[in-house]
Amino acid sequence: MTIKDPELQNLQDSSAFATEVSEGRLVTEQMLLNVGPQHPATHGVFRLLATIDGERIVRAEPIVGYMHRGYEKLVEQRDYRQITNLISRMDWLSGINNELPLALALEELMEIEVPPRAQYLRVALAEMNRILNHLMFFQSFSAELGAITPTFYAFREREDIQYAMETVTGGRMHFGFFRPGGLKEDVPRGFTAMALAAVRKVIKRLPDYEDLLTGNEIFKQRTIDIGVLDKEVAYSYGVSGPIGRGSSIDMDVRRDEPYLVYDEFDFDVCRGTHGDCFDRFWVLLHEVIESAKIVEQALAGLPPGPIMGKVPRVVEAPKGEVYIRTENPLGELGLYLVSDGGKRPYRIKIRTPSFSNVSALPHVLENTLVADMIAILGSFFFVLGDVDR
Amino acid sequence: MRLEAADALDRVKGALGDRVTDASLNHGQVDLTVEPDRFVEVVTILRDDIALGCRFFTFLSAVDRSTYKFDGDEHREAGSAGSQNGKGGIEVLVHLYSPDMIWHVNLHVPLDFESPVCPSITGVFKGAEWHEREAAEMFGIHFTDHPNLTTLYLSEDFEGHPMLKSFKLPARSYVKAWPGAKDPDEAAAAGGR
Repeated sequence: MTIKDPELQNLQDSSAFATEVSEGRLVTEQMLLNVGPQHPATHGVFRLLATIDGERIVRAEPIVGYMHRGYEKLVEQRDYRQITNLISRMDWLSGINNELPLALALEELMEIEVPPRAQYLRVALAEMNRILNHLMFFQSFSAELGAITPTFYAFREREDIQYAMETVTGGRMHFGFFRPGGLKEDVPRGFTAMALAAVRKVIKRLPDYEDLLTGNEIFKQRTIDIGVLDKEVAYSYGVSGPIGRGSSIDMDVRRDEPYLVYDEFDFDVCRGTHGDCFDRFWVLLHEVIESAKIVEQALAGLPPGPIMGKVPRVVEAPKGEVYIRTENPLGELGLYLVSDGGKRPYRIKIRTPSFSNVSALPHVLENTLVADMIAILGSFFFVLGDVDR
Repeated sequence: MRLEAADALDRVKGALGDRVTDASLNHGQVDLTVEPDRFVEVVTILRDDIALGCRFFTFLSAVDRSTYKFDGDEHREAGSAGSQNGKGGIEVLVHLYSPDMIWHVNLHVPLDFESPVCPSITGVFKGAEWHEREAAEMFGIHFTDHPNLTTLYLSEDFEGHPMLKSFKLPARSYVKAWPGAKDPDEAAAAGGR
């Protein structure tokens, strides 16, 4: 091994270093690198302790809990009707999706029949929220890799959908629109046309975004074969959603166990093959189109009728236990509801997608380069409120 | 190919035999009760048996049933050891899912209420690590053979186990009196701004 730099030459002459180099082994020291708790790439307050050896991450330990609000305890003190609004704050990018599982769990336990119009509108609103969520991650992932242009495209498209949802619910993030048994109120006149125009625009423009990023050489270099998550490992960590499907897991609650009226719509479940950053992003991007297709079908076939089923004045779930899961934009959101017959739940275990997804991070980050860390973190599409609950 | 819940229950009964103390159906999902010493064995079979295929680890948590109102049961005080029929204590709850055959299983592992100890399943499902850490700090369950049983959400010096029913969620006033004046008159009287 020859060293041309004169300063290093001096070093080489010094005893210890010279032996290391001449014997062909260079002993390096491990170092602790702290990322966060505040970091632009973490979408919340998240800390990562990485033990690095040179450029390589030996061990990564995510430290969560900075946003722990104790929802599982809080819901035990609250009336069922208050809870949908409370847990809408878990994953703040997909508020209306978070409201869904509790409504479904109560409908299952109390045997409430929900009118078709409410079911169709729930599907449409949930899928519109999924598009909002995915477009947000589309822009944030690109921005983390240094591409700022997608931000403007994504927010232009988001605004139309956001506006349509605002006319219905009055909110832009926490909608508070789903009720056990149906919806808060019917959609205003003109909503259907507005929403259809918005999602059709997304369908039309999405191929451009794909060309903009997934065909870009720099983007490919930074994502292909980076942060590979193996299929079997993903199963054992319970990784679901776009991240799981990026690792070619063939799972989608909407197709496998259709809730609401998802079985009436025609859509594909996108899957990656390698489980790298590129595949996760590719799945995310393509799910936008599938969601847009579902919104189109749901609004085109929107039946007339009431939007609320027969719900007693006091919501009291009968004794029983039920596990209900839905396909949240980031993966499987499940509630295990234990009811002892009261106005308040006895216990709700909230299974959030981001929690399970992030718990697989140490495995994925092991033996990767520090330079790839942000790309991997970004490609896991997690919201810290959803991790910490 | 989809496996109906009733068929799944038959297969589970056949594969697990007397390793489970109770097996039933609940809202289209299989419900199993397992003693702690056979817990890891049962989870391993559920994952590895090709006819069962519960490869997807959904969650692990716990339920404190010490104040649960069972039928014909008097309302019991928080923290009591449970009712006479053995229910009503603390249990570990695990949900597994078979992505290929689309069926669910809920495992209930009843534990000793005074000193809950449960074997860790991190050797079977790596993802159980965080879930067990959460259950440990929230319910005070000790998971034996866990590689790193430290707190996940709570600070290290936090006292108590928040998710136990005996842990009361205090009202704000109970914790600390509001530090400032409550209305403008009071503030003026106190000479504050």
